[in-house]
Amino acid sequence: MLQFKLVLLGDSSVGKSSIVHRFVKDSFDEFRESTIGAAFLSQTVKLGKHDDVTIKFEIWDTAGQERYKSLAPMYYRNANAALIVYDVTQPGSLLKAQSWVEELKHKVGDQDLVICLVGNKLDLCAEDPNARQVDIDDAQAYAQEKHLLFHEVSAKTGVGVAQIFQEMGEKVYEQKTAESAAAAASRPRKAVNVELQRPSTNDSTTCCA
Amino acid sequence: MDGGFAASKFESTVKAQNKGRTLYLASKSPSVPNLNEAFQSDVRPRISPGRGQSQLNVLSVTEELTGSSVIDLYGDEEDEQDEQGDEDEGENQEDEGTDGLASDNPRSFTASPSVSAPAGNISSRDLSHYDRYGFKKHNSHISQEEYHAWWDDYSRYCVRRKRKWQDLLEKSGLVSVNGVPDRFPPRSEKLKRYVRKGIPAEWRGQAWWYFARGQEKLNKNKGVYDKLLAAASERSGKASGRDLEVIERDLHRTFPENIHFQRQPNDTEEPLMIQSLRRVLVAFSVYNPKIGYCQSMNFLAGLLLLFLDEERTFWMLVIITSRYLPGVHNVNLEGVNVDQGVLMLCVKEYLPDFWPKIVPKQHARNNEFLYKLPPITLCTASWFMSCFVGVVPIETTLRIWDCLFYEESHILFKMSLSMLKICEQDIAAARQNNRALRSRTLSKDDEDIEIFQAIQTTPKKLLDPQQIFDRILFKRRFSLNNLNQEEIDRCRKYVTSQRLKLKNYADIMGNRPSANENAKRDIKMGPEFVESALSSEIYGFRRSLTAAHWNNSIKEKVRQIRRK
Repeated sequence: MLQFKLVLLGDSSVGKSSIVHRFVKDSFDEFRESTIGAAFLSQTVKLGKHDDVTIKFEIWDTAGQERYKSLAPMYYRNANAALIVYDVTQPGSLLKAQSWVEELKHKVGDQDLVICLVGNKLDLCAEDPNARQVDIDDAQAYAQEKHLLFHEVSAKTGVGVAQIFQEMGEKVYEQKTAESAAAAASRPRKAVNVELQRPSTNDSTTCCA
Repeated sequence: MDGGFAASKFESTVKAQNKGRTLYLASKSPSVPNLNEAFQSDVRPRISPGRGQSQLNVLSVTEELTGSSVIDLYGDEEDEQDEQGDEDEGENQEDEGTDGLASDNPRSFTASPSVSAPAGNISSRDLSHYDRYGFKKHNSHISQEEYHAWWDDYSRYCVRRKRKWQDLLEKSGLVSVNGVPDRFPPRSEKLKRYVRKGIPAEWRGQAWWYFARGQEKLNKNKGVYDKLLAAASERSGKASGRDLEVIERDLHRTFPENIHFQRQPNDTEEPLMIQSLRRVLVAFSVYNPKIGYCQSMNFLAGLLLLFLDEERTFWMLVIITSRYLPGVHNVNLEGVNVDQGVLMLCVKEYLPDFWPKIVPKQHARNNEFLYKLPPITLCTASWFMSCFVGVVPIETTLRIWDCLFYEESHILFKMSLSMLKICEQDIAAARQNNRALRSRTLSKDDEDIEIFQAIQTTPKKLLDPQQIFDRILFKRRFSLNNLNQEEIDRCRKYVTSQRLKLKNYADIMGNRPSANENAKRDIKMGPEFVESALSSEIYGFRRSLTAAHWNNSIKEKVRQIRRK
């Protein structure tokens, strides 16, 4: 099974852990303990668009506080996908999300990294129309400009959560297959590259130091 | 929620607190988890059938007790039949009568009387689901049946241990005030063994405070806590707005499942515990701006508040963040990286079979892993930051804390190694039980996931502290028990200097005009780079940093210990 590494980034208490728990366990807690360091989860996704092929996400859920940013390179090293979350009721959290986008584009510099910008807590807007502080058009425009996937979701009600992972799964899968095909075409036949089988950690096959 | 709101909220609680100044002073410990009712209704009858009636008085007695929290939980005098079975705890052959009276702390501790949690609120809930500290008994990792089966045994063990402690104190000529000792015997191998087997829950606050030399710290800083609170409420600008904001967000994300941290249905005010937690964290952020507030400190302070009053919680937090975990909570979190580097060195030394599974070969060379920490440290970092709070079930956490305050920080490394060992065993067992897995060779990715998953979930299932304490910590045959504080101190120094060296080198390389500013520094840290950094003469000396160098110092250490 193809495996892909996905990291969750974003300001503290925007709902990163809640989104993952909705996706992996289909559950929600109003008060969830703050994540310290990082939590690891994995979940498979069936890609209907690609003959029901199943892929596995290796998900790293991270702590949101600013200072944890110094550990971030450890998270996104070799990541295939990043989910950057903000809270639609907290304009400051969108700024934080944008700085994450910049950081990833800058430091990782990997054109293949699939980034999805996600506005969470949509349920609060349904309860109270005045709760919304981030305009969906603004966020969407930003996402388009930076070539990001974009969704608004509610981890509480579950709206939109499955779609994020579905879409990201398709995108990373398409990239992987395209990449493999291109590599196969450009390489002389005898040099079979084992690394192609290994999307998430390209470190460890290059053996013997 | 912005910083201003957080600050004003803080002000209002301080104001309220000043209005009832006397009340505040008398009740600096809103913390007391007097969940006696819960405890009795559920466990007590099973431990001591026939004594249920007398327990009704316990709550009123609490009011006169000293600062400690959970009271007479086990029923000391009953259960004679529990005397048997102590041989497995192996204390009968111990030397006796050597313990004198500790004199390093002559000032007797004046405890403020504790205040019972508002019983009315709590009794309206089904308390049988909560343990004696107010935590939910079962969760997604532990079923109610598992919990009860374990607690049945473990509560008896606790009764036996408490009796042992009482004997020890008596022999040492120490008296307890209202059932809670204010002093403990001087340090000895015997006392260490007692601590490792668990301090009686109702004495924990006092014992932690004593072993961590909290009173010493407080005596040097009389009145400081109150001044910090005053300063914070005046918004003297010392507490950064950003910190206040994050604290405010985390208050309700600290033990949301614990009854003392929950708002009860008819409550108009915030739970006292949340108010105390806010004051402690805000005061700390003013006290130590280098740290301010770091997520994970909410759990440290939250757990302390269950056992100590607010002021003492504050000073214990100061002690933990400076003495046991230096730099770990600092703004740059460098202490986290250092300790994870140290842990990796320890894994390499003490769990050599596990080592190749977590560190890719090319990073193992030249100690490159000290700079490029392996992914596993993303999980293990939280073990240190929160001293295992929330990582393992509560009774296991408390046993670790008992040792931490008595034996200092190397115990966190020892525990981490033990935990990794258990994870390793779990992985092996799972493979044995799963024929599909056994027959298949796993890809490196699958193996990684297997390890991450085990590291994430195995600790959560360690309901029974004995799994780690009896099976590993007391077993001489595990070499990891040779690890001591001196070794950790030395490793910390070593890793700190190595990381600094690499960082300086990377900075120098990065700043060369020819270097592309946006170059991926991470990728540049290849083996040649590291090699040239570590053996560079820029720093005035040339050093070989092979693993053997470090290992030799450990071996020497072990030899010394053996000679002793």
